[in-house]
Amino acid sequence: MTPIDLQDRAQYLSLAMFAQQVISVLMEFSDEGKTARISSLEEALSSLRHASNPSASPSRRAAALGSYEQLRTLDEVWSDKDRKRAMQMMRAILRTPKSPTSKQVANALIDLFSDLQNQALWNFEQPKPISQRVMQRLCQLT
Amino acid sequence: MSVDLTDLLHDVAVLHRFADFIDEYCKAQERSQTYADSSGKFFKYVEDLCSGIKKELSSQVELAGRFPRRLNILRNNARILKDYLRSLHELIKPAADAHTLTTPAPLVELATDQLQKVRSMRGSEVVVLLTPEFMYFQIPHTEIKNQGRLVEKFIIPGAQFPPKMGFIELPYSQGTSFFSNLVIYHEIGHFLYQELSNPDSQHKGFSDLNNAIIRSVKRALAGSRSKDRQVFAVVQKYIESWTQEIFCDLFAIRLVGPAFSLSLIEMLGMLDLLEDESSIRFYPSHPAPAFRLAEHLKMLQNDSWWESFPGVDPRQKQVLERLAKLPRSKYRFYFDENKPGPRILVSAFLDNVVPKIRDLVHEVTASAASSTRRFADDRPTVERCLMAGVVPHSQDGAPLDPISIINASFLFYLTSLPDLIKKFEGEGAQRKVEVYSKWARRLELWTMKAIDDSILYERFRRLKG
Repeated sequence: MTPIDLQDRAQYLSLAMFAQQVISVLMEFSDEGKTARISSLEEALSSLRHASNPSASPSRRAAALGSYEQLRTLDEVWSDKDRKRAMQMMRAILRTPKSPTSKQVANALIDLFSDLQNQALWNFEQPKPISQRVMQRLCQLT
Repeated sequence: MSVDLTDLLHDVAVLHRFADFIDEYCKAQERSQTYADSSGKFFKYVEDLCSGIKKELSSQVELAGRFPRRLNILRNNARILKDYLRSLHELIKPAADAHTLTTPAPLVELATDQLQKVRSMRGSEVVVLLTPEFMYFQIPHTEIKNQGRLVEKFIIPGAQFPPKMGFIELPYSQGTSFFSNLVIYHEIGHFLYQELSNPDSQHKGFSDLNNAIIRSVKRALAGSRSKDRQVFAVVQKYIESWTQEIFCDLFAIRLVGPAFSLSLIEMLGMLDLLEDESSIRFYPSHPAPAFRLAEHLKMLQNDSWWESFPGVDPRQKQVLERLAKLPRSKYRFYFDENKPGPRILVSAFLDNVVPKIRDLVHEVTASAASSTRRFADDRPTVERCLMAGVVPHSQDGAPLDPISIINASFLFYLTSLPDLIKKFEGEGAQRKVEVYSKWARRLELWTMKAIDDSILYERFRRLKG
């Protein structure tokens, strides 16, 4: 048996840490011009891809981001458009880190991931039961 | 909301004091009690983490001075460290309570030895925790470990979460009892499941099982037009929970034999989950008890355990047979006690996932499974010793098999304890609650000592080569 509450809450903290990881790399890049850890954005990108399609198996080493708690938090903060935009911006930085606009893009990404992190930390404090919308859909299954 | 340096200083000072307390607490516990090595390693990790956090806080303040526009982010960094430490906080006190005088140390040691025989689990360690809940838990360590890995990678290099460390919780009232604690084999199954189902482990069997779970989710949702990711994730979570529970039950049976089933039936009975109506219900976190027991019976029959104790018919065995006979068509799914849910989830699980679980359990436990032949050989000796009121031991110096000791003693406890009491206390004494309880306790102590002897002998034998 596993204590459910602890397990669910841990999902929010993992999401907050995931955002923290991305933010820390981007801050180093934007504020100090360091590019050594930029490649770790690949892993984050792969996690976001998995969040778009949770029925695919998560890749090795990538944080899964496929749990209900994490998907719900992502949906609370980001629209589909935001998610796509975040992925595009990450790809742009990975492709051409030395581009003159890269730092600007990094700052925009930091804002997006900060919103995600704030919501994840909030949900960690105040975990919510499964939403009514999801419950209704489940009840409609036959 | 904008924050200034004072807010950040306040937050980091609070966290500093928190880390300082936890650090000192762990050190003080280790000075005053004796712990298993695994607990010691866990405390050491916490101490390293706390001193790492304390050092890191100063550099966060320094960074805030250089980049004031990042104050909000730096404040969140401190918050994340605090929340991670809070998560560990929930484990530290229960781990500190579980010193060697309050836990069934020989049983945990035996179970850990068996776990290490499973391929890919060599070097694994189990930290025992004592919980105020009347329930056995395995603390989901995958997330905590992933979080530990991120903290190490991005914030505090050098504080490495001990690899292959699992946590199991026992009710504090049951810490030193023996037979009810056989349930820990199931919890150790959770530890193994989480360790090997992690994509990093690249275990093919678990990867196949995960694919089967995804297929069953797709089948359950096939009639729905919704492509909602959250609905998919919830159904996946339910089916994954049922999968783990069945996996862990079968894993426990493979390692410890029928004693696990008999122990679990005692526990489910205490929770009122063995009545016909409650036994057929699947809930989000657990499959129906009747289904669990049906799978137990199948495994026990396949492994020839079931026919190895003919003529012994304790109530627990009858309960198992009765519930295992209930047809699958009776199983239902409930969101909670009053709210029925879609049965398609149960059918999808039974058809797509269960056969894979059975195969995987066999594969994983191939080198760690218990032996019915040893049981048949050792059982008469164990019973003779217990009836004579001594710790089970063999006459020829060769040690008894610990799993045989457990099963033979448990069967003796369920069927022959009144005779033992009559023999030593006189006719009628077996009907006195206090006397019965005292002799049950004595029987558990003899069993535990016999296992301790067996482990010691095995260790000595290995040392001698």
